[in-house]
Amino acid sequence: MPLLLNILIPAVFAGIIFFLGKRISAQQSRHLFVLCALLNFVSALLSQPLFALTQLGSWLFLDKFSAPILLLSASLFVWVSIYAGGWLQALDDMSRRGAERDSGFRDPRLFPEHVFLSCTLLFLAAMNLAISSANLGLFWVAIEATTLVSAPLLCFQRSKAALEAMWKYLLICSLGIALALLGLFFLAIAEPTQSGLNLFALMEHSEALNLQWGKAAFILILAGYGTKMGLAPFHTWLPDAYSATPGLVSALLSGALLNCAFLGIFRFTQIMPAALLPSCRQMLLALGFLSLLTAAFFVVRQQNYKRLLGYSSIEHMGILAIILACSLSNADMQRVLLWHIIGHSLLKVALFLLAGNIFLAYGTRSVTAVKGMFESMRWNAFLFLLCLLMLCGSPPSPLFVSELLLVFELGPWLGAALLFLLFMVAAGMLHAGMRMCMGTSPRQESMRKAALLAERLFPMPAVAAFLALSFGVSLIFLLIRTYTIF
Amino acid sequence: MNGLIEILLLSFLLCGFLLANSSRLMYCIKLVAVQGFLLGFLPLAVAKVEGGSLDWEVLLLAMINIAVKGAVLPYMLQKAMLKAGVRREMEPLLGYAASGLVALSLIALSFWFAQQLEYSEQVVSRLAAPVAFSGILIGLFLIVARRKALTQVIGFLCFENSIALFGAGMMLQYGALIELGILLDVFVMVFVMGIAVFQIKQEFQHINADLLNALKERPGK
Repeated sequence: MPLLLNILIPAVFAGIIFFLGKRISAQQSRHLFVLCALLNFVSALLSQPLFALTQLGSWLFLDKFSAPILLLSASLFVWVSIYAGGWLQALDDMSRRGAERDSGFRDPRLFPEHVFLSCTLLFLAAMNLAISSANLGLFWVAIEATTLVSAPLLCFQRSKAALEAMWKYLLICSLGIALALLGLFFLAIAEPTQSGLNLFALMEHSEALNLQWGKAAFILILAGYGTKMGLAPFHTWLPDAYSATPGLVSALLSGALLNCAFLGIFRFTQIMPAALLPSCRQMLLALGFLSLLTAAFFVVRQQNYKRLLGYSSIEHMGILAIILACSLSNADMQRVLLWHIIGHSLLKVALFLLAGNIFLAYGTRSVTAVKGMFESMRWNAFLFLLCLLMLCGSPPSPLFVSELLLVFELGPWLGAALLFLLFMVAAGMLHAGMRMCMGTSPRQESMRKAALLAERLFPMPAVAAFLALSFGVSLIFLLIRTYTIF
Repeated sequence: MNGLIEILLLSFLLCGFLLANSSRLMYCIKLVAVQGFLLGFLPLAVAKVEGGSLDWEVLLLAMINIAVKGAVLPYMLQKAMLKAGVRREMEPLLGYAASGLVALSLIALSFWFAQQLEYSEQVVSRLAAPVAFSGILIGLFLIVARRKALTQVIGFLCFENSIALFGAGMMLQYGALIELGILLDVFVMVFVMGIAVFQIKQEFQHINADLLNALKERPGK
């Protein structure tokens, strides 16, 4: 039952917030929003395989791979929802101040706040449906739904850039997902059992799959969900969308949505017959390294810190594709896959929320215009640098462990290539990060007030960063213990 | 060969071809509506030709399909067109004569490609796969070669219709619930895109998607 609740709770709350609309105060609807996030977290906890039956008919189920992802996105959503209350309040303060100063002030919001909150909740419901669906057709419907309800979130703050980003996101992602639908049809032709795309039946009869149609289906699915996930030749929407949206929306897109799209590709590798696995492996490796290369190329000398984080998402999705390729021949790597997903999501949510704070304070996304963060917003600056270091894989981070094991698994040549690309990305990111933190901050009065507002928003990213840190430390202890035994 | 089904499929193909050739948006919307209607009608025709009894589930789905893709979506597109105040695609990135030639070669390519695949015996018609592939390619072509955001939506609908045609033509079984879900997604998609077109018009005073190019990599200093 909790499986169904995961989807129903956010959907029902979205309806409540939408229909109450302006009849309740903004403060009350923000409280409802947080309440829903907490309830969703409880229900995600209860639907873990430890506590409950993890299957509901032939439609919903959780396995040891998807259950942690569900819990992860539920907990991310709790922090984001608490952060959202403070952020919207800060936005209110700033626009009130702006309205007092000049009369021609234009409210930057494209639509009212309750619509924004209910769209975010529907987004959560669609993601939960995708994560827990046991039918590939249902999964497709849910993924398409995530695109539709998140598109309005992208242009919550009216600007030309946001509208442009939303249009690209809508068009490119829908095209990609429509390709994935074609891939599903190919799969339905390839499988002789007529199971109606049910995952259990497909896994059971995977060896009976028609090889020609099956391979075509995998290519289409990889291109389709790869678009949504941001794998390299299909990634073009991603940096644009991330750079133009509010920090908490990009945090959700990067921390939760990319994992859902990745799950689609993962499920497909589960149902491929053994004869097709080598070619799947090659395709995943190729796309993974291409993503890394693209990210390394664009991160160096990047002038926009939110695009920088976007390219880092592309980098990590590439690494995930490479780990997935390795896990096809070595089942132990599946655990590493999960570690990498968790570490990346935690750190990326923290970083995007911090980037939102920086934008709130400085009003610009340019790396060169943001100076002296250590002076103006000490906590945010400290956390920003810490998370950047961990995202680049420096030791106490969970990504360090997963990337280390991946290098061992890949062998000398590919491993060296991977390390080189990772080094490039790290150099670019840290260069930008240091530049933003050091120096002297501008002395305008308005900026200092905004920085004070932003400084108050640091606790939620700190929670995410702390969790990532402790997760990483425990993984390192696990690693040491495993190796001293041998 | 069953006459009725082939006629349906070939008219679907013709609509796709005409889409690549016409500049008036109203006409394009009507063409997509006809495509949607043909798509909804196909399962009924198949049931009639094969002489089986008409399942109420099939009938209901076909009705919903015809209503949504043949009437509601075109109506929404038309409203978006009137709101945005755009009547025709004035300067396409590729001229109309050239577009026609490209569409023809895309159709030839799809027929060649569809020949390479092996089919199961329950396919409705040998024409279904090549017609669907042509529609998919023409839809993609429209998205790439046209400037107006609205024409891109029309291209997307053609793309989507053709994928659905592939599903219907191959007699795939994936359940009524999934089919309804897919339909709902497409419906909301066009709805959101319509609103987006209006907002773009408000903000930019035009809906030329090729001018939406502010977001890109800038060379470092």
